[in-house]
Amino acid sequence: MSTVPRRPRRGWRSPRQLLLLPTAGWALALFLGPLVLLVVYSFGSIDLLTFQVQFGWTLSNYGDVFSDLYLETIGRSLLLSVGSTLGCLVIGFPLAYAISRQRGKWQVLLLIGVMVPFWTSFVVRTYGLVNLLDDNGPLADLLQWLGLVDNLRLLYTPWSIAIGMVYTYLPLMVLPLFVALERLDPAVMHAAADLGAPPRRVFRRVVLPLAAPGIAAGCVLVGVPATGEYVVPAILGGDKTLMYGNVVANQFTGLGNYPFGAALAVTLTTLVTFVLLISRRRAAAEAWA
Amino acid sequence: MRRRMRRLPHLTSAFAAVIYVLLYAPIVLVVLNSFNANERLVEWGGFTTKWYSEALADSRVREDFLASLLVAVLTTAIALVLAVTAALWARSASARARGWFDGSTYLRIILPEVVIALGLFLLLTVLEVPLGVGTIVAGHVVIYSAYATIIVQARMMTLSSTMEEAALDLGATPWRAFRRVTLPLLAPALLVAAMLTFTFSFDNVIVSLFLGGAETETLPVLVLGLIRISISPEVNAIGTGVMLITLASFTITAIVATFRPTGAGMLIPTRRKDS
Repeated sequence: MSTVPRRPRRGWRSPRQLLLLPTAGWALALFLGPLVLLVVYSFGSIDLLTFQVQFGWTLSNYGDVFSDLYLETIGRSLLLSVGSTLGCLVIGFPLAYAISRQRGKWQVLLLIGVMVPFWTSFVVRTYGLVNLLDDNGPLADLLQWLGLVDNLRLLYTPWSIAIGMVYTYLPLMVLPLFVALERLDPAVMHAAADLGAPPRRVFRRVVLPLAAPGIAAGCVLVGVPATGEYVVPAILGGDKTLMYGNVVANQFTGLGNYPFGAALAVTLTTLVTFVLLISRRRAAAEAWA
Repeated sequence: MRRRMRRLPHLTSAFAAVIYVLLYAPIVLVVLNSFNANERLVEWGGFTTKWYSEALADSRVREDFLASLLVAVLTTAIALVLAVTAALWARSASARARGWFDGSTYLRIILPEVVIALGLFLLLTVLEVPLGVGTIVAGHVVIYSAYATIIVQARMMTLSSTMEEAALDLGATPWRAFRRVTLPLLAPALLVAAMLTFTFSFDNVIVSLFLGGAETETLPVLVLGLIRISISPEVNAIGTGVMLITLASFTITAIVATFRPTGAGMLIPTRRKDS
């Protein structure tokens, strides 16, 4: 960037600007275009007999989105994604901490250990959970053997979706947390302890503030895709507990009500964009780069 | 106080060990069941490779595998071209233009995939474009070229342009300077970006499901369909195969990343030791 000497021609006519053309063309036509189309459709209406879409500026679709029936689904979705994000944080933090305290080869191995499941097929991993959580599966056997739970009824409940989302998204939480915790100098913690702070206070006043950017990044990386999650509820919800993503998709592929589906999609996008704007965008960007 | 602080690592280590076991349990279970002779999979019924031969003999599995492969290869090729041109552009762009560009790149990654896929589905339906391999690739490139762009751009930022300028001063054409100087310097990042794009594209469910239409089906979409109908032992064999393919590309990337740490930004975010 700054090392490149200023060239005389820097306007839009410069041939260097042509390099943007492939990406810009692709993104405008196939990313921005569809988003605009969704917004246009969301204000239209559909004749349910002829399936002809009438374009107008009706807000009725958005009225339907916020009707009791769908509001419940949206609420349940949000609860599940917020819960899963917190679950990832609670499990991911000690895990990231344990990895960050290791050195050298062990640290790399442990990190790879977290990343391998993430690179392993998403569908297959989720399907593996179906086997694990099954009423007659290994988990049920183990809990019965331990005498904790007699009849496990977990699969195809909201709980199994939450477990599935924590399981699939955990690596996305661990990585930014690790980056933040790895920079943490143990000497700072020891100093606080030597000055008489009890461990809980060291954690709350020293570790937590220093890890905050990592926590924020992890929550965005997990929470945002979790809100629109489709595959995990489709497999672990057993068509009973549907989440937002599934309801939107069903409008398009099942019911053919494009305007209402578009309104649901635009609402989801607005929600996600809002969350992104209030969160610290830089933290998320840093974790990806 | 110090003693209590020191006991904490043991607790977290034990906790971490449990989490690692849980992370791998579902995967191990799929692999084990793929060799399980018991048809209902409720208990271990002896070792068999029957499900693998059944899956390999299934023409639908073979067709879907080839479709997935074709989609992943095309997506990777197009995404790399977009990533390299965009990174070259970003190098000389103004800070403001770059800010907008980076924002739109992150947006393509962070927006729910369902929204991107369904928006495209709507557009293609309105334009009456027949769904198939081409439309799946179109959707995959929207998302995964963003990942590739970030990786390639991160590498490009660490490169100084002096070598390229030297080549130009010595009379090389811009294309030749790019091919002989810039491209080799970008190679590790390109490999990581290619492997990531290939893996994610090969593994994609949502875009492939909505943009494949009735004709084209990829392997993960087949697996999703099979799971939803009933649990058949064949799924475990197909699933193990899919995992092997995605893991192979991970292994290649990990090896490259180990030897060329600069390309590993996405894979293992180690502390930067560069200049």
